[in-house]
Amino acid sequence: MRRWRYFGYRLLLAVPVIFGILVLNFFLIRLAPGDAASVLAGESGAATPEYTELLRQKFGLDRPMPEQFIAYITAALRFDLGFSFRNDSPVLDLILERLGPTLLLMSTAFTMALALGTLLGLLAAVARNTWRDAAISVATLICYATPGFWLGLMLIVVFSLTLGWLPTSGFENIAEGYEGWERVQDIALHLVMPAMALGLFYLALYTRVMRASMLEQTGMDYVVTARAKGQTETRIMFGHMLRNAFLPVLTMAGVQAGNLIGGSIVVETVFGWPGVGTLAFTALQSRDLNLLLGIFFISACIVVAINLIVELLYVLLDPRIQA
Amino acid sequence: MFDLQSIRPGRRALLLASVFGAIANGAKAQTASPRRGGTMVMLVHPEPSTLAAYAVSAGNIPPVTTQIYEGLLTYDWDLKPAPLLAKSWEISPDGKTITFRLQEGVTFHNGQPFTSADVQYSFMEIAKKVNPNGPVILAELTSIDTPDPLTAVFNLANPAPYLMVSLSANYIPIVCKSVFEGTQPMQNPSANRPIGTGPFKFAEWSRGQFIRLDRNDRYWKPGLPMLNRIIARFIPDASTRSAALEAGEAHYAAYSAVNAADIRRLQANPILDSTTRGYGMTAALTTLEFNTRRPNLAKKEVRQAIAYAIDRQFLVDNVLYGFAKPATGPLSSVFATQGFYTDQVRRFDVPDRIEIANRLMDEAGFPRGADGKRMSLYLEINSFGEQWLRQGEYIKQALAQIGIDLTLRSEDTATWLRRCYTDYDFDINEPFYSAGADPVVGVHRHYVSSAIRRGTTFVNNKDYRNPELDRIMDAATRENDHAKRAELYHQAQQILVEDSPGAWLCEVQYVTIFNRKLHDHTGPLGAYQALDRAWLER
Repeated sequence: MRRWRYFGYRLLLAVPVIFGILVLNFFLIRLAPGDAASVLAGESGAATPEYTELLRQKFGLDRPMPEQFIAYITAALRFDLGFSFRNDSPVLDLILERLGPTLLLMSTAFTMALALGTLLGLLAAVARNTWRDAAISVATLICYATPGFWLGLMLIVVFSLTLGWLPTSGFENIAEGYEGWERVQDIALHLVMPAMALGLFYLALYTRVMRASMLEQTGMDYVVTARAKGQTETRIMFGHMLRNAFLPVLTMAGVQAGNLIGGSIVVETVFGWPGVGTLAFTALQSRDLNLLLGIFFISACIVVAINLIVELLYVLLDPRIQA
Repeated sequence: MFDLQSIRPGRRALLLASVFGAIANGAKAQTASPRRGGTMVMLVHPEPSTLAAYAVSAGNIPPVTTQIYEGLLTYDWDLKPAPLLAKSWEISPDGKTITFRLQEGVTFHNGQPFTSADVQYSFMEIAKKVNPNGPVILAELTSIDTPDPLTAVFNLANPAPYLMVSLSANYIPIVCKSVFEGTQPMQNPSANRPIGTGPFKFAEWSRGQFIRLDRNDRYWKPGLPMLNRIIARFIPDASTRSAALEAGEAHYAAYSAVNAADIRRLQANPILDSTTRGYGMTAALTTLEFNTRRPNLAKKEVRQAIAYAIDRQFLVDNVLYGFAKPATGPLSSVFATQGFYTDQVRRFDVPDRIEIANRLMDEAGFPRGADGKRMSLYLEINSFGEQWLRQGEYIKQALAQIGIDLTLRSEDTATWLRRCYTDYDFDINEPFYSAGADPVVGVHRHYVSSAIRRGTTFVNNKDYRNPELDRIMDAATRENDHAKRAELYHQAQQILVEDSPGAWLCEVQYVTIFNRKLHDHTGPLGAYQALDRAWLER
């Protein structure tokens, strides 16, 4: 019961956080010079000032800022994120259309990084100072130091161009028009490289954190006690140490969920993955403020949600953490 | 649309084609015979923001929309008018009346028959009112008569020699009157679900991924199109676009779609080929613009000195990877075929150009200081791609030779446009423009004083005012006699190069990369033309 009350309290705290983000974003974004109308007019080449003014009126950019702000907040509270004039479509529709691919990419990369990272960290810690430990350390260091976009391009060169195993880019093969199970397989093939490019950095990070964390636990009193009780090493490791050692990894993972959204911009661009990342990038370039605000808002919600889940997981893993 | 290229200069300019034909011309041995069916994948970059080709002239829109919309005319390899929706035409001797006879048996994708009323509506209500090119191209068009459903008579206030070269689908697409009547053109549902008369019908737009076009089974040209489907794919990363071509996932990439740095590698790939044909109507130049409001740059000598200091051949070889040619003035040498171009102007490519430049700077009253510098200026880096930064880096070194300390300033597109075309807070800008089919379409607005319009992009932001040039360009707009018109343009080039309100660097050509399985894809208008005859080998 207390556990749920704690969770509800956390949930309540998230509300002012999200509201603060809304307000801050709205004003920050207007500090950037140039607006959507000028970019759109610029792209038309010889647009007249009247044409630009027409666009500005249409976008509501000619109204005073407080008025724009109040209109935005009241609409956002009804979950109406406005209209993207550049894309001629409601912001929410645009984002929802792209959210699926991004969540698929993020969750695949995240799950892979977390699962493999934990496993490799564990293996390295168990075999401390052996060749296995050294090999894992070197591999993780390389992954850790490699920029995602470069890794992505190299994956394309190796797996698409040289070996011809995987498609270079995109979400699915449109020309073939697959359906059903074939389509799932097709999308999975397209997912492999982006997920690796996005996840390998985090995999390396979690491996290192997990290894350090495991080694730290080795000398703890409860481990000595367990060993003195005559428990097997396997049981000590999985029954006692793993849970404790996993907490720092989880903390790290929660904090970095936000980074994962940022990283997905680069990876999505390299692989032509139709996600929120590329949408954010083009929206920024074209000063599509409504769309950009909408993406910030949704991203903020996702980060807050992931942090809530992490906190919930803490409580499940370590019952001592309760306010 | 060509203007739009001015906007995306970066990517495009990269792909210049060698003027000396260093590039294979795509004249492949036609062993296989045309085959029906198949899905062609083309790369378009960047993804269009809208498909409202009748109201937005960005250069990435026509590769898609010219498959759907058709124009009154198309153009042959000599860029002379050729029939499309108009099967013949007559121009009255005074040049003020043009009578078009329309193709019969044409229907729009929604089943409506195509008539002269659609032509009238497309020009008078759509192109004249919402097309950014309308105020220039259609300035003289006063009305259109429709004596019968298959005849449209254009009435002009004055002769408009540039009009007949600006009637292709990429400039003025013919829309269906009944779809637009009584609506706001910009908010019309067909903006992003276009309805035209072309060989392909709009099917689906999955944002961030692709646009799918399906075969128009009721197309008016018998037996066409050959392809079942065209998919325009959008891949944001340049390296990945090249990889998609190399892997055979995409068949066709024109204009800006691949990096200049990748072109040689792609040409070496056995499954790919390239062509420089189909860009005759672009006539693109990379240029510098000088803000003559700044006291230093108000002096003609300083502007000329800068023009002397830059080695254009170096830019061609090192920044544009050889896919270009040095420019001599504000008109591309592409216009030589029409007789408009001349190289009889002040030439900056002389052997002692650095000495001349230094002398001009001395004469202008800017002696070298103790540190060897005469003045400090800013160069605004064009935000459309890396090429422009490379160009800026070279110019910085070139101007150091004549004692100008240049600072490069890189900003994002919106900020850059605002600084150079609204706030006028710049010294030197490095834009890019395409003349289009006629100088009136894409050149005049950079130099005439009536085009000094704050807040309008890619017009005369230099505050250059020369009544003599204004008069000549005005006369060239109306002159119906071709030889006289050519003479006016020769004078205009001499005046502009002498005054140097800008510096003209390189003539840009483009390269189309395509898969060898794709045939009959490149016509006189290149990627701005319907792929009705294109077919794919199995």
